[in-house]
Amino acid sequence: MGDHESSKIDHENHLLLDQPLLQLPIELLRKNLRSARFEVEKDGSYVKETLKKTANDSARGDPISQPDAVKTLDLMIARMRGVKRKLTAFSEEENRLHRHEEARVKHLAELYSLYSVDDHKYEGWSRTRLDRLLTDYLLRQGYIDSARALAQERGVELLVDIDTFDQMNKIRQCILNGSVQEALAWCTAGDTKKELRKMDSNLEFMLRYQQYIEIVRNRSQTRPDEAFSHARKHLFPYRDTYPTEVMHACGLLAMPPEYVDRVPAYREIYAPARWQKLADLFTETHNSLLSLPSIPLLHIALSSGLSALKTPACHSIHPNSAAAPSHHTSLSLATSVCPICSTELNELARNVPHALHSKSHVEPDLLLLPNGRAYGKARLEDYAKKAGLLEGKVKDLRTGEVFGVEQLKKVFIS
Amino acid sequence: MSLLELQKEVKKFNQASKLTAAVQDVDRLIDLLVSAREEVAAANDPHTASQSLVKLQNRVNAQLETINSDLGRVHKSQNAFHKALGRAFKETKGTLPTDHDPMESQTALINRAIAMHLLREGQFGVASTFIGEAQPQGEAPQSPSQDQERPPSIMISHPDEPPDAMITDADIPSDLTAFQSQRLQEKFADMYSILSSLKQHDLFPAIGWARANSTELEARGSNLEFELCKLQYIWLFKGPAVNQLPATRDNGLTGALAYGQKNFGRFQKRHLREIQRLSAAMVFAPNLGSSPYQTIFNTDLAFEEVASSFTREFCSLLGLSAESPLYVAVTAGALALPNLVKYTSINKAKNTEWTTTNELAFETPLPRSMLYHSIFVCPVSRGQTTDANPPVILPCGHVLARESLQKLAKGSRYKCPYCPSEGVVKDAKEIIL
Repeated sequence: MGDHESSKIDHENHLLLDQPLLQLPIELLRKNLRSARFEVEKDGSYVKETLKKTANDSARGDPISQPDAVKTLDLMIARMRGVKRKLTAFSEEENRLHRHEEARVKHLAELYSLYSVDDHKYEGWSRTRLDRLLTDYLLRQGYIDSARALAQERGVELLVDIDTFDQMNKIRQCILNGSVQEALAWCTAGDTKKELRKMDSNLEFMLRYQQYIEIVRNRSQTRPDEAFSHARKHLFPYRDTYPTEVMHACGLLAMPPEYVDRVPAYREIYAPARWQKLADLFTETHNSLLSLPSIPLLHIALSSGLSALKTPACHSIHPNSAAAPSHHTSLSLATSVCPICSTELNELARNVPHALHSKSHVEPDLLLLPNGRAYGKARLEDYAKKAGLLEGKVKDLRTGEVFGVEQLKKVFIS
Repeated sequence: MSLLELQKEVKKFNQASKLTAAVQDVDRLIDLLVSAREEVAAANDPHTASQSLVKLQNRVNAQLETINSDLGRVHKSQNAFHKALGRAFKETKGTLPTDHDPMESQTALINRAIAMHLLREGQFGVASTFIGEAQPQGEAPQSPSQDQERPPSIMISHPDEPPDAMITDADIPSDLTAFQSQRLQEKFADMYSILSSLKQHDLFPAIGWARANSTELEARGSNLEFELCKLQYIWLFKGPAVNQLPATRDNGLTGALAYGQKNFGRFQKRHLREIQRLSAAMVFAPNLGSSPYQTIFNTDLAFEEVASSFTREFCSLLGLSAESPLYVAVTAGALALPNLVKYTSINKAKNTEWTTTNELAFETPLPRSMLYHSIFVCPVSRGQTTDANPPVILPCGHVLARESLQKLAKGSRYKCPYCPSEGVVKDAKEIIL
């Protein structure tokens, strides 16, 4: 294999993993602007309509009285002050996102000044990438404090999306604790409702459906017509889109939780496991609304990397050939343990395929010892010297057996 | 269009219109409304009130238009940047393989790998936050006192154990609740304190560690202990002007001599020649620079070198690789990803997952520094050798996979495919590369 070739950085393709990094701030910026527009639109048209009405009244010879005019103006001022407050918040968010985007572009562009993975600056860059991927993973798992601590310690706050995931995770936790209010508020905030409809999301319906199930479950404590009115308002209008659910909803009224074991179809509806599914549905909807990858990028990097590094020897039943050293380093002959053989990853890599190689990679000038092991000539000589052996003797690097050089045999690897 | 151009675009985007313009224009609108209110409130005649409101209508509408066009400009610059982003990644081909996630069910193992990564990188604070958070709910975290009472789950070299069997996977449970980070953390805390002493050119903690573990180190073929002692000798030799230690009898030439006499004895057998050179250098002390010993006394990189070799040995004795495996795996992952993406996009239609086979169906070239094992590809079958199909060496020195040899053989005899020699199959011996 041309060493030079495989060390060269193919910048464009090297950034496959990093596209989502730049994508999120701009998605959030667009969402932010849409929300700003929504507010301006809402209160702007209120002001517009009110003024139009007073003008029309006045034209019809019914001018507004002075106290009423002051009152109207006060209302309009209050509304616009509300708009200003919200816009100011959106503007701060906008600045934050701009800072994120700029820092991210800068970070990715740094890669373009590196040409080889052997460049020691590449290690720094790649470590930052690891810190990013780890933080992203922690956030997605809901380990927000760890993510915050890691991002802060490694100084990658601008390269990760703590706030977005923190918010998402809080709502998710609420669902897991049996509350849909927060998720419903998210669904209907600003223009999210419109966006969800555009992507044919069933999230809002499912949340409403769960709300209904809870009303029916606790029917002894709720007003009898509450279930009906909820269903009429939130479920029946969607009976064409979700016929099964609406049908089940109707049937559920005849099926109190205590009888449900007799009818398996309804057991599932009362099952607490629904909350987990609902939480997952929320996460999935949230991520696809923001064009976030559906699985953690760390998973992608790991499954690809584990396979690329894995060799048949990594899970060999012979402990001897596991951790076989293949090159030596300056001060010591002993070599580093293979990352796949190392405890951290060994189990994890067990079920992934190993890498495909079309050429052998072995030490130069292999010599065979009588015990069936082969080592490079240079390494054997070096080790013999360090071990203080007599002239003409070599020592097995792993077993420590000593042999005379006349017993060695040249190995030909074609 | 590459990311370098995107850097210009992001600058442009940053300087383009933002929501601040809209905020200012909303402010102006509020001013309009407020001054109209004052006018109306001050007027005594109902006619004026109505007139003011009618007058206000046009000005408010115009101001709302202004706000809308402010927002429109933000929209436009966002779109422009969004397009530029698309262009920047035009050369980045393929989509990430998110349909199939082989790591999905492996959360416990991934969490453990992360915990160990954080510990080995010395990020103890983050690690303990993480272990606390990642523990399955309902189970209270174990108090440290309990930890200490339990037998250590991570064993550290006992001299009577072979160095190969330090930490095995069985010693570290995959479950974080049972994962006793305490021990590992203590070990890595030791490592970092020794490393920080090394950085300040204080070799004693490292020498102490190397001496305590000398049996294992020697078995690994490591000269770390000697290298450390040698550096200490050289460091004292250079005297107070260089090492900035107090100019006492323990420093300088006399200090080095005393140190050598006291410590080099144990290395006599293995490193006699080097010790002779070190001692002989004493004679050249006044003009070392022009002596034949000049090279061994050059310490510019020596401390860094022993530090990295110390880290490697320390981790190896724990059964761990010197570099964070998570770091290596993720870096290798990014390098291999383009080929994986190419493969998955071609094979999407076939509905087979790339992880179902034992061996990847495509090559993932990695740099030399990321090849940790010898890899033998049989020149006949073109396949890699495995436990079940190991490499064998023929008496003529050529190496094949055993199965290939069996296929080549006619009865019990074979002819080497690479040279004219012939022989019997049972003379082929298994070889460990």
